Amino acid sequence: MITIQNLTKVFRTEEIETAALSGINLEIKKGDFLTIMGPSGCGKSTLLNIIGLLDSANDGSYKLLDQEMIGLKEKGRAQVRKENIGFIFQNFNLIDELSVYDNIELPLLYNNVKASERKQKIEAIAEKLNISHRLKHFPQQLSGGQQQRVAVARALVNDPKIILADEPTGNLDSKNGNEVMELLTDLHAKGATILMVTHSDYDASFSQRTIHMKDGVIFSEKLNQRNVDVFMDAK
Amino acid sequence: MIFNWFKIFIYHLRQSKLFSFLNVLGLSIGIATVIFAILYWNNEHSYDQWNPNKENAYMVLNKIGATGDTWGSNSIPFGETCKASIPEIEKICFFNTWYDDEIIKYQSQKLMAKKITVSDESFFDFFPFEIVQGAKTNILKEKNSVAISEEQAKLIFKDEDPIGKAIIYNTVAYTVKSVYRIIKPSSIEPNYVFSGVKREGDENSWGNFNYGLLVKIKKGADPVAVLKKMQNVNFVNRTLKDAKESGQTVEQYVKENGEITVILDQLQMSRLHGTKSSAGQNFPEGVGNLKLLYIMGGLSILILVLSLVNYINLATASAIKRAKEVGVRKIVGASKNQIIKQFIFETAIIVTLAILFSLAIVELSLPYYNTFLKKNLTMNGSEFYLQLILIFGLVIILAGIFPAIYISNFETLKVLKGNFSRSKSGIWIRNSMLIFQFGIAAFFIIGALIVNSQVDYMMNKDLGFTGDQVISIPYNKPDRQKRVQQYGVDKSEIKKIPGVVDVTTFAGSFGGSTNSSSGFTHNGIFVQPRNAEIDFGFLEMMKIKIVEGRDLSPEFASDTVSSMLINETLAKTLNLKKPINTIVTSGWSIGDGNNLKFKIVGVVKDFHITGLQNKVPPMVFINIKTLKWNNFNNILVKVSPNNLTETLEKLKIYWGKNVNPDYPFDYEFVNKGFAKTYQEQIKQKNLFFILNLVVIIIAVFGLFALASFSMERRLKEIAIRKTLGAETDILLKELSKQYIIFCFMGFAIGILPAYILLQKWLEDFAFRINISVVPFTVALISLVILTLIIVLTKAYQVTKIDVLKYLKYE
Repeated sequence: MITIQNLTKVFRTEEIETAALSGINLEIKKGDFLTIMGPSGCGKSTLLNIIGLLDSANDGSYKLLDQEMIGLKEKGRAQVRKENIGFIFQNFNLIDELSVYDNIELPLLYNNVKASERKQKIEAIAEKLNISHRLKHFPQQLSGGQQQRVAVARALVNDPKIILADEPTGNLDSKNGNEVMELLTDLHAKGATILMVTHSDYDASFSQRTIHMKDGVIFSEKLNQRNVDVFMDAK
Repeated sequence: MIFNWFKIFIYHLRQSKLFSFLNVLGLSIGIATVIFAILYWNNEHSYDQWNPNKENAYMVLNKIGATGDTWGSNSIPFGETCKASIPEIEKICFFNTWYDDEIIKYQSQKLMAKKITVSDESFFDFFPFEIVQGAKTNILKEKNSVAISEEQAKLIFKDEDPIGKAIIYNTVAYTVKSVYRIIKPSSIEPNYVFSGVKREGDENSWGNFNYGLLVKIKKGADPVAVLKKMQNVNFVNRTLKDAKESGQTVEQYVKENGEITVILDQLQMSRLHGTKSSAGQNFPEGVGNLKLLYIMGGLSILILVLSLVNYINLATASAIKRAKEVGVRKIVGASKNQIIKQFIFETAIIVTLAILFSLAIVELSLPYYNTFLKKNLTMNGSEFYLQLILIFGLVIILAGIFPAIYISNFETLKVLKGNFSRSKSGIWIRNSMLIFQFGIAAFFIIGALIVNSQVDYMMNKDLGFTGDQVISIPYNKPDRQKRVQQYGVDKSEIKKIPGVVDVTTFAGSFGGSTNSSSGFTHNGIFVQPRNAEIDFGFLEMMKIKIVEGRDLSPEFASDTVSSMLINETLAKTLNLKKPINTIVTSGWSIGDGNNLKFKIVGVVKDFHITGLQNKVPPMVFINIKTLKWNNFNNILVKVSPNNLTETLEKLKIYWGKNVNPDYPFDYEFVNKGFAKTYQEQIKQKNLFFILNLVVIIIAVFGLFALASFSMERRLKEIAIRKTLGAETDILLKELSKQYIIFCFMGFAIGILPAYILLQKWLEDFAFRINISVVPFTVALISLVILTLIIVLTKAYQVTKIDVLKYLKYE
């Protein structure tokens, strides 16, 4: 689904050049659940942003669904983004001025989905994420976990090909964090492709594969053990 | 989608009710001023546009070579000769260029009628008002015919059929031939059109310029060629003849006396772009005030720009609050265009509200505006609504596009990372707009101060006469031929009324002019002085000084025969070193063709007979008995300030009994009458004052809002400074400094246009103030003080923040 080759990103100021990413190679297949870990400033968020088409690379190749993304104009990127990518953020990024329902509706509006279909989809996803009773509330009236579930609902409502999660549990306590991670695992089990950035080893253990980055390069990759589930069950 | 946009819009509207309200108010004031200007503009430009002759009919004016005056009047033989000798001229029409107000009698009814005009049989060919009753053609062909407007016909005849009835005007009976419906606005909107404009004795006098003249030229004819031919008619019949008579060659004659230049004003251009005649004698409805129209237009556009700038500034400043929303929208798939559309949509709603609001403002203040312009404007007509839609679109584009593009360019990543609110993007644009606003405000303050001091100057200027306690009462004796005689009797009777101090008269009015003017040549210098026929004692009562020689006096028999006074200006114009006892040949003759000779017995100190727009004209003074023209229309009565009401009551009774029972008793204080000459300027002063208030309100609000936004963005910085030990006054200085700099920069921008435009405005006044540095200094100081008050208030509030709160979160 995603093929990245020799991807490079350099931040330039007047005096210094900082290589945020230098020669990243990565492949994500359909149905993968991949975690990127690493210390602050290692380039993991930059990588995620480039994959999410929020940022552009200086060099290399990034193919999404066999289509080259490097060099695509803003308009084209917005188009690809709205059709294929769902975002989940650490700070939720819900629009405070809109109700839960309206927040979830946004991607559908921008994808020109018909009104009747929109309603149906929103209700279905809300049901799935157990926030049906919260649709009329505003984000500020919800707990952190609920807000993140709304954000997940918004990310999923348009059936994206890949979900990008940037520290999804970063602003949550462990109980709410767990809930969100279970949600992601669940989605993965149902076939969703997920790419997650996190600091937490614990969160990473929910995924299939973990990549470690440092100073803009990937230096290790490991497959996670299934026994995590066992551990969870024991808990 | 629109529903979603609307929800967000309503949310923000509710969040900041005050700011939203002020924002809408600011825009609506801006739009309202433009609507006012448009109403005025439309009205002035619609004069005569209904008239099918608007392109073919021309008014004829004459520029008199000797004096440089332009007369809106013509002689009969000139018009007739043109008609007879120039084939391109289809029709001509003589008419009175003024309205008469007179008593109209029908059976036992008496009616004080206004807007009476007198013309000839072609009148309705030039102004084809709709005929609702009676004859459609040859309406005024027969002697003593009259056509009446529909309204007047109803007033006089109620349900009777007016056609064929006789009404009496100036003791003559006229037969009503037609009833017409006035189409407005028109250069002539008469209530009555009487026939017989041509007076006896004028038929063959080339020198009697007593008539307004319209010519209609045939379709396709070249007006320039016609003008040339008309000029030639004048040359052959006047210049050549006069030159021959004086025994000079034509060149010599023209060099000494000048030549009349004929001017043609197209009817459709006449009101606004026509040639203004010297005595204000154009069409009876007057000429349009093009200058005021431009002032109104210019100022209203300036105010609209100001409110647009305000809106843009606030919209971009408050966009920071919307940054996250925009970021999220972009992430979930919004394109730039969609974001732009959303924000233009919001502007559209605000502009819609603002337009509704401005319509309400206009509706409510239209009566005052109408009094100001002496008009009857209404918000009507498809043209007006079209313009309204145009304004709507224009304001949306101008106000909406820039903030929308600005917002749509927010970088998603920066926004969502949360360190956007301190970003410097767009700051320089906002600051330069702020400077621009200061510039406009400075312009208005300076303008208002200068206009104000000119009006003050006019009100306090020594006029050279004293009109205190002097009232002017119309003297409408029915028989004009015996007016001087009758005045003598009435004068001694009125003097007996207790409370009356003195009685006098002269043929003219203060603030107007004298009623006649006659040119003569002395020592080879041609002059065209105003004739002032005065009663003995006139100068003394009005406290007009004699600088040399003596006043006219009944003690000298010659003073009613061959003595005259002149004013200083005339003495100077004639280059008279020793004017007293100089004999001049006047411009007057009695029948035998020889001009009368007069001896100058005194020189009168210059006083302002016309308004201060004009220089003091050259004047000659003779006694009312000298020429027996009987052309004075008012009596001046000096009254004692005690028991004024009683005195007036007695005067009223005397007038009703002895002067003319048909006329309502009317009087005016001379000072008040003169004040009318600067009424226009007082109005402009008030207009400027109101606009100034509007501008300052908009600017103050804009400054406050902008200062609020930019200071609130610096809360973290302030918190850090406070933690590091900054004192309040240092912080205040830090926060206010830049606004004071902007204020100075804006002021610098405003100075030059203010100086140039006000200089231009002042050019109209013969007596004017010089522009000093005072208004500029005052404007600068008040602008700085205003800025300081606003900025310091906000800054003080900001420095009182809870440091912890802003260091923790941000």
